[in-house]
Amino acid sequence: MQVFLQTLVGGLSFGAVYALVAMGFSIVYRTMGLVNFAHGQVVMVGAYAASTFYMSSRLPFVLAIIVAMVVTGLIALVMERVLRPLENKDFDLMLIGTIGFGVVLESLATIIWGATGRAVPTPVGSQPLDVFGVRIRTYSLVVLGIAAVATVLLLLFLQRTKRGAAMQAVAMDHEAATAVGIHVGRSNAIAFAIGAGLAALAGGLVGPLLYVSPTLGGTLGIKGFAAAILGGFGNITGAIVGGLAIGILDSFAAGWFQGYSDLVVFLVFTVIVMVKPTGLFGERTVTRA
Amino acid sequence: MIRFRRGRVVASALAVLAVGVGSACSAPGGSSNSSASTSGPIKMAVVNAQSGQLSSLGAWEYKGAKLAVDQWNANGGINGRKIQLDVFDDTGDPTTGTNLARKIASEGYVAMIGTAESAVTVAMAPVLQQAKIPSITSGQSPSITAVKSPFQFLNGPTSTTYDETLAKYLVDQKNLKNIAFISNNGSYGKGEHDAFGKALADRGIKPVDDQVVTTDQKDFSAALTSIRQKNPQVLFVGTEEVEAGLIVKQARELGLSATVAGAAPMGTTVYLQTAGAANAEGTVVSSPYLSNDTSDASRSFAQAYKAAYNEEAELHGAKSFDGTNIFLTAMKNSNAATGQALADAIRSTKYPGLLGTFTFDETGVGIHATSIGVITSGKLIATATS
Repeated sequence: MQVFLQTLVGGLSFGAVYALVAMGFSIVYRTMGLVNFAHGQVVMVGAYAASTFYMSSRLPFVLAIIVAMVVTGLIALVMERVLRPLENKDFDLMLIGTIGFGVVLESLATIIWGATGRAVPTPVGSQPLDVFGVRIRTYSLVVLGIAAVATVLLLLFLQRTKRGAAMQAVAMDHEAATAVGIHVGRSNAIAFAIGAGLAALAGGLVGPLLYVSPTLGGTLGIKGFAAAILGGFGNITGAIVGGLAIGILDSFAAGWFQGYSDLVVFLVFTVIVMVKPTGLFGERTVTRA
Repeated sequence: MIRFRRGRVVASALAVLAVGVGSACSAPGGSSNSSASTSGPIKMAVVNAQSGQLSSLGAWEYKGAKLAVDQWNANGGINGRKIQLDVFDDTGDPTTGTNLARKIASEGYVAMIGTAESAVTVAMAPVLQQAKIPSITSGQSPSITAVKSPFQFLNGPTSTTYDETLAKYLVDQKNLKNIAFISNNGSYGKGEHDAFGKALADRGIKPVDDQVVTTDQKDFSAALTSIRQKNPQVLFVGTEEVEAGLIVKQARELGLSATVAGAAPMGTTVYLQTAGAANAEGTVVSSPYLSNDTSDASRSFAQAYKAAYNEEAELHGAKSFDGTNIFLTAMKNSNAATGQALADAIRSTKYPGLLGTFTFDETGVGIHATSIGVITSGKLIATATS
C-alpha cells in the first residue's frame, strides 16, 4: 500500500508538468490547427531562462519564472511572424517550420549555455512531509499548486473574456471570424505566446525536479505531446487529465516493468488511442489542418 | 502552385543528395593521397557526442584532447609536423558512429580519440580495425574488450576493475553486506550492474533488491520505495551522472539513508550538483581520477585546463588528455608511424598519466586499478584502502 501511494505521489508532480506542456500544445492546436513541434524546445529555453534569472540574477523563484514566460512569449511571437505567410495555405510546410525552429532553439541553447547543463536548487525547504509513511516533497506541492492556478486562469481567459471567445471563434471557422472583424493573425499570435508562456512555466517548474540541459525539451516534449493526444488534442481539460494520466502511468510502469517501462507506457497509450482515436475528451471542432 | 513548389523542393533535395553520394563515392579513391600523410599536419579525429543527451561527456573529452594537442603544437609538434585535431559529432548514436568511422578512414586520419560511449565504441571498432586506425576510448564496458580489436585501446579501466575495487572496500573492508542495486538499462548501466553483481557473487552475496530503470526516467519513487522497504546498508547506483544525481536526491527525500556507492560518474560535479551537496555527502566512489590535487601532474593539468576553458578539470577531460598524450608519445617514438606500426608503438608505450601509469595489455586496457574516494563536505576525498 505504501509503495502504491508513494508511486502515485511521485507520478502526480511530473504529471502536473506534463499537463502544462500538453496545454501549450493544445492551445496552439485549438486556435491554429497546428502542432507546434518546437514546443518541447521552448520548454527547454524556458527552463534555462528561469534558472538563469533565479540563479544568476537572484530573482525570487516565482518572479524568475514570470520573466522567463515573457522571454519565451517573445520568441513565440517571432516564430508566429515567420510562419504567418504560410497560415491557411500550407500546413505541412508550417509543421516542418516548427521542427526547424526546434532544432535552432536547441542549438542556440547549446551555444549560449553550453552542452553540460545545470542543476537548479529547490526554492523551498527540502524536508519532505510525512503523511502516514508516504513522503511528499514540499516542492511537489508547489508545482501542483502553481499548475492548478495557471489552469484556472487559462480556462477563465478562454471562457470569460472577449479575446478568449474570439480565439475560440477563430478556431471553429477562421473565415467567418474574419468576416465579423476578428484579426486572425493576432489571435494566432496570442495563442502562440500563451502556449510558449505555459512552456516556460513547465520548464521553470521542472528545473529543480530534474536537470536543465539542451536535450530537456525532447523528453518533456514527447511526453507532453502524448498527454495532449491522450486527453483529446485541442481540449484543455483533456490536456490536464492526459498529463496527470501519463505521469501516473509512467510512475507505475517504472515500478512494475522496470527497464521496459517506456515500452509499456507507449503500448498502453497506443491501445487507448486505438479504442478512442479522439482521446479521452476528444471533440471534432478543430478540423482546419 | 504549391504542388509545383513542393516538386521543386524534392528535386533540389534529390540533387543535393546526389552530389553528397557522388562525393562520398569519390572519397575512397581520393584517399590515395595517403602518401601525402608523411608531410603536412598529422590528422587526429575526436569522435564524441557534441549534441544530444551525452553531449556533456563529449564536450569534456574534446577539451581534454584539445589541451594535449595544443601543448604538443606549442612545443613544435612531432618531428616538426603540427597536429591537426578535428571533432566529429556522433550524437551518442552507434549508427552515426559507424558512418563517421568510414569517414575518418577515407579522409586520412591516423588516430581517433573517443568515444565516451561504450555502445558507439563497439559499433565503430570493426570499421577502424579494417582501416587500421588505432582509437582510444573512454568507454568502460567489458563489451569493448570483447571485440578483440588490436587497434582498440581504453584510456581507463573496465567496469570490472571499478566494481571489484568497490566490492573490496565495501564488503571486505567495511563489512557491509546488505546491498541494494539500482541501475539503468543502457550499455553503461548494464555493464555496471553485471560487473558489481559478479564482484558480489564472488563473495557469496546476493543484492537485497535489484531495480532497473530506463535511461531517461525522471521519477524513481516506485523503485526507491521498494528499496527503502528492504532497508539496505548500501545503495549501489549504476547510472550516468545526471540520473545518478536525481536518484540520490529522490532517495534522500524518500527517507532512504543507505550509503550511496558507485563508479566514476558519482565523482563528478554534475552528480554533486544534481543530487545536492547534502544528499551526496558520504557517497563512496570508485575512480582512477579522484581529484585535481593528487599529484604535480594533476595540479598542472587542472591549472592549464582552468586557464584554457575557465572550468574545473574532471575525470573525462583527464582521460582524453592522457589518451591523446599516449597517442602522440607513441607517434613521436615511432617516428610518426601509422596503422599497425602505430598500434604496436601505443601498446609498448608506458606512460605516467593522470589516471596512473599506463601499461597496455593484450586486450587494450591501460589502467588496471582504481581508488576509493568518499564525498566529504562536498569534496571527493581519497580514502585509505587495505
